Amino acid sequence: MSPDPHAHSQPTRSRREFVRDAFCGFGSVALASILNQQTAHAAVGNPLSPRPAHHAAKAKSVIFLFMAGGPSHLETFDPKPLLNRLEGQPRPKEFGDAKYQFVKEGAKLLGTRRTFSKYGQCGMEISDLFPRLATCADQLAVIRSCYGDRVVHSAAQYELFTGRVVPGYPSMGSWITYGLGCESDSLPAYIVMPDPKGALEAGQPMYSQGFLPAVFQPTMLQPGNRPVLNLDLPQGVSLNQRRRTLQFIRELNRTQSTAEDDEFNARINAYDLAFKMQTESPRVFDLTQESQETLDLYGVGREPTHDYGRRCLMARKLVENGVGFVCVVAGGGPGNQQWDAHGDIEENHRRKAAETDQPVAALLRDLSRRGLLDSTLVLWGGEFGRSPEAESSRGRDHHNLGFSMWMAGGGIRGGQVFGATDPIGLHAIENRVHFRDIHATIIHQLGLDQHQLTYPHLGRNERLTFIEGTVISQLI
Amino acid sequence: MNFLHASLRAVRSIFIGAILSSFLLDLTAESPTQRFWAFKPLGLSPIPAVESTNFPVRNPVDAFVLDSLQRRGLQPSPPASRQELGRRLFFDLTGLPPTPEEMEAFVNDSSPDAYERLVDRLLENSHFGERWAQHWLDVVRFAETEGFEYDGHLPEAWRFRDYVIEATQNDKPFDHFLTEQVAGDELQPGPSDGARAAIFHRLGPVRRNAGNPEIALSRNEILTERTDVIGAAFLGLTVGCARCHDHKIDPISQKDYYRLQAYVAASQEHDIPLVSKAEQSAWETNNQSVQDQLRILRKAVDGAEETNRIQLKAQIAALEHSLPPRPHTLPSVRNDPVQRTAIHVLKRGEWERKGEPVGPRPLSVLVEDGRPESPPDLARPRTELARWLTDPSHPLTSRVIVNRLFQNHFGTGLVKTPNDFGLHGDRPSHPELLDWLARELLNQGWRLKPIHRLLVCSSTYRQSTHSRQFKRSMELDPENRLLWHFKSRRLSAEELRDTILAVSGILNRRIGGPSVLVPVDRELVQLLYKPDQWKVTADSSEHIRRSIYLIAKRNLRLPFLESFDQPGLISSCGKRESSTHAPQALELLNGSFSNDLAQRFAERLRRESGGDPHRMIDRAFQLAINRSPTTEEQQQSLEFLRGQPPKEFTLALFNLNAFLYVP
Repeated sequence: MSPDPHAHSQPTRSRREFVRDAFCGFGSVALASILNQQTAHAAVGNPLSPRPAHHAAKAKSVIFLFMAGGPSHLETFDPKPLLNRLEGQPRPKEFGDAKYQFVKEGAKLLGTRRTFSKYGQCGMEISDLFPRLATCADQLAVIRSCYGDRVVHSAAQYELFTGRVVPGYPSMGSWITYGLGCESDSLPAYIVMPDPKGALEAGQPMYSQGFLPAVFQPTMLQPGNRPVLNLDLPQGVSLNQRRRTLQFIRELNRTQSTAEDDEFNARINAYDLAFKMQTESPRVFDLTQESQETLDLYGVGREPTHDYGRRCLMARKLVENGVGFVCVVAGGGPGNQQWDAHGDIEENHRRKAAETDQPVAALLRDLSRRGLLDSTLVLWGGEFGRSPEAESSRGRDHHNLGFSMWMAGGGIRGGQVFGATDPIGLHAIENRVHFRDIHATIIHQLGLDQHQLTYPHLGRNERLTFIEGTVISQLI
Repeated sequence: MNFLHASLRAVRSIFIGAILSSFLLDLTAESPTQRFWAFKPLGLSPIPAVESTNFPVRNPVDAFVLDSLQRRGLQPSPPASRQELGRRLFFDLTGLPPTPEEMEAFVNDSSPDAYERLVDRLLENSHFGERWAQHWLDVVRFAETEGFEYDGHLPEAWRFRDYVIEATQNDKPFDHFLTEQVAGDELQPGPSDGARAAIFHRLGPVRRNAGNPEIALSRNEILTERTDVIGAAFLGLTVGCARCHDHKIDPISQKDYYRLQAYVAASQEHDIPLVSKAEQSAWETNNQSVQDQLRILRKAVDGAEETNRIQLKAQIAALEHSLPPRPHTLPSVRNDPVQRTAIHVLKRGEWERKGEPVGPRPLSVLVEDGRPESPPDLARPRTELARWLTDPSHPLTSRVIVNRLFQNHFGTGLVKTPNDFGLHGDRPSHPELLDWLARELLNQGWRLKPIHRLLVCSSTYRQSTHSRQFKRSMELDPENRLLWHFKSRRLSAEELRDTILAVSGILNRRIGGPSVLVPVDRELVQLLYKPDQWKVTADSSEHIRRSIYLIAKRNLRLPFLESFDQPGLISSCGKRESSTHAPQALELLNGSFSNDLAQRFAERLRRESGGDPHRMIDRAFQLAINRSPTTEEQQQSLEFLRGQPPKEFTLALFNLNAFLYVP
């Protein structure tokens, strides 16, 4: 019995067959080690060796500036004069329904205190929260018509990262690593820099590799002197001593293994790679060699920009050295340390904007002047936007039905606004863009096809974009 | 082992099978999906009469395997050495290495049934239950926290883990084991073994959120999760795909999916107090009064002005803090007919888009056409469900569980997709053997240990990893589906941690009890939304217990275990990955666990060798990889130890392929 060719999932064969076919034999050497394919024992290398894309790529890396907690579209990229005129009134019926996490039916609309101006040759409207980013307007493709399926943090964060509203699925960073491998052989392929102020609702599973093999897991970069777990030597062990230990391990392994032991050889090579990471990556993690001009550009060494500036600068260094996916989280810990402005949208957003505006603009400028912006796709946004209605008089609740994100670089056509919400910013009404469309577009720019980037799990060939996203052709 | 005995049983099963098949055939005109192999009644192929000079056919497993090898012109591999076999068997049945003394006794035991006696002893070894419970815990997505943002702890969920360990150890018949998990609360209400098993329904992730409740959506999420795990774990069917739409050729229709869900429609969370009635009611009174005050304050916040609001919120926070700690409860389920969710076919799986209402009924492919649904308000719906799941007249449950056993002994199942016996899954490599084993399970009254015994006593299992005809065999059967050799495997994450503790001589072998939280890097705890949830177990002798006793917390997994492919704890995992990558090397070289334990191992060696380097090296090899070093290895080690501390030597041993892989 042959399977339905139009079925959304093909028969799930073994992972080995599956991956072999998916990559049409490319990279089989690298894959062999993961898959214990004993035929290819001649050269067993790094399972993260770069793999050819499905089609010509525009971008090589992604930096996701994750504005955790959900920044308001109404205060940033989506001006709504009508909302100001309707302030204090309940939402007119003609705008339809919305379900919020906290705000109840009949709540009053809240206008914005921000002012919007036109920037760049494109004349894009951006609020006065982001004066520095506004000078990069011609590089931004602002999407004003984003929507997601859930209005609570954890589920929305899962959907933003993995395309599903439940934990357990691989994040886009893991999918991309699975699809492309890693250009660098001394740095992790996929790095997350969480906000040192604290964790997020969805927790670790949001960034994780889900059901993909552990090799595609994220590396969490910690603040302080030990950015990567286990990358530094244990106390009291010198590099020379460790080199000797590694050599001893290699000697014993060689005497014990046979030529056909593919996986054994892969493991021997993993130790070489580990040693390389250990000796070479500290150079990349070291920001002290950056020029004062660069540090100033990012606002490193000054408050309130120091922390996010430092992490954005690190992101630039990482993509410069071949890391494929970097997530720089802005916001963590209690809601008000995120963009989660339930109580006072003004206070919260002015603070969060002050922390991030300069670093974000600096990142775009720095990537651009180093010729990296063309190959680096930058994505900015949160798990949702915020409600047109007021919560506890001056705040805004979560809002998933219409909000803004932007992309820049990586072959994205900047200087344009795409999509629109209705006149009070409640529903995305024009060119609506779901998270899965964002995912489809990002991986498309990286040369990956959402239909080919699949992995068998529980009877389905799963993919990042779940029920299929649409590549947003107007943006590329 | 007794081939004759097995053959007699086979004859008996032929008789039973004949009755069963004729019964089924009478009732059904087979549809195309019913003709699909997985839904056909258990087959009755004769045991092949094959023989080989260098591969004794010890039981029907070997007969079926040898037959298919011979048909493809392949040869089995020679038997593994005693040393390899001992190590293989100890890890397989207990998840721990043999001690040098145990290994020596086995290697020197010249009696003809030395191996079989070792098998019998290890099947009764007190660590057998722990080792094989872990396989099942993977399948039922065992975790002790609810995931999502609160990742709330179910402090007594470890009782389910202990239930599985005990059931495995005592070889509880699989039909009972299944029934207790699916319907234990219906069969034995109160804090019984049944309620403990029914924690099964509480093991999935649960999204709880503050604010406007999304009751119907949340309920739908929970019922979906509970239905999907039943499909994957017991039926080996990924029923979840049918939630959203029918597939033209899928064996499970959307209606079937919701009929299956209808069995759990009345199940609600039920926390059974583990304290006395008096303590419980004291807590309730106390808690109620604080909750009442909280409710008044929360109402006040809604209308309050800013300054007042801040004050009120502070008051609320203080009161919340003063809530009396909830007495521990068993997180079980019970049926609540009043709150039973009306089950409808949902268009595209969306809870708002209700189609026709359905009642409980087994999957169409497994029952006769036109069988009516049961009334939705069955008194004991999950008992009914368990009854048909364990009904030997349908072939899935028995095939699925024997395939899991086969996979965990041999590395790959006869069906490679253990959770998916459907159209998208793999086809069995040895369908006759699979059915023979499934019948044997029924003949043995659903007891699993006889099946374990059959599998590990076979010549197939006792083969070497090295074939005489490696190249040719690889060409013909690169995946070793026909079992022409035994494939070595990397230790699982838990085995690796347990083994390091064991060879270092400090493993705390206590069995059962509350889960342990070990100290972890502060940075890791800071990644939790509620870092104070990570309360390290005070008694440090608990930190060196077997990994199965470490808390399974969804939002904080130990990097060591995660790196070595511990499953994600979110959905059913039928087969683990075994990946090989640099972070594993970094973990074993630089991680604090391996370095601390290398130090302990070195201290042990110093104690046990009296400082003589030759004896120390020999003892180290014996403990770590169950053999003496070769002359070359002895030389290399001596030379290394001349310049390096013993701790680096022991650390190197933890990093050897011979340590990480079981032959």
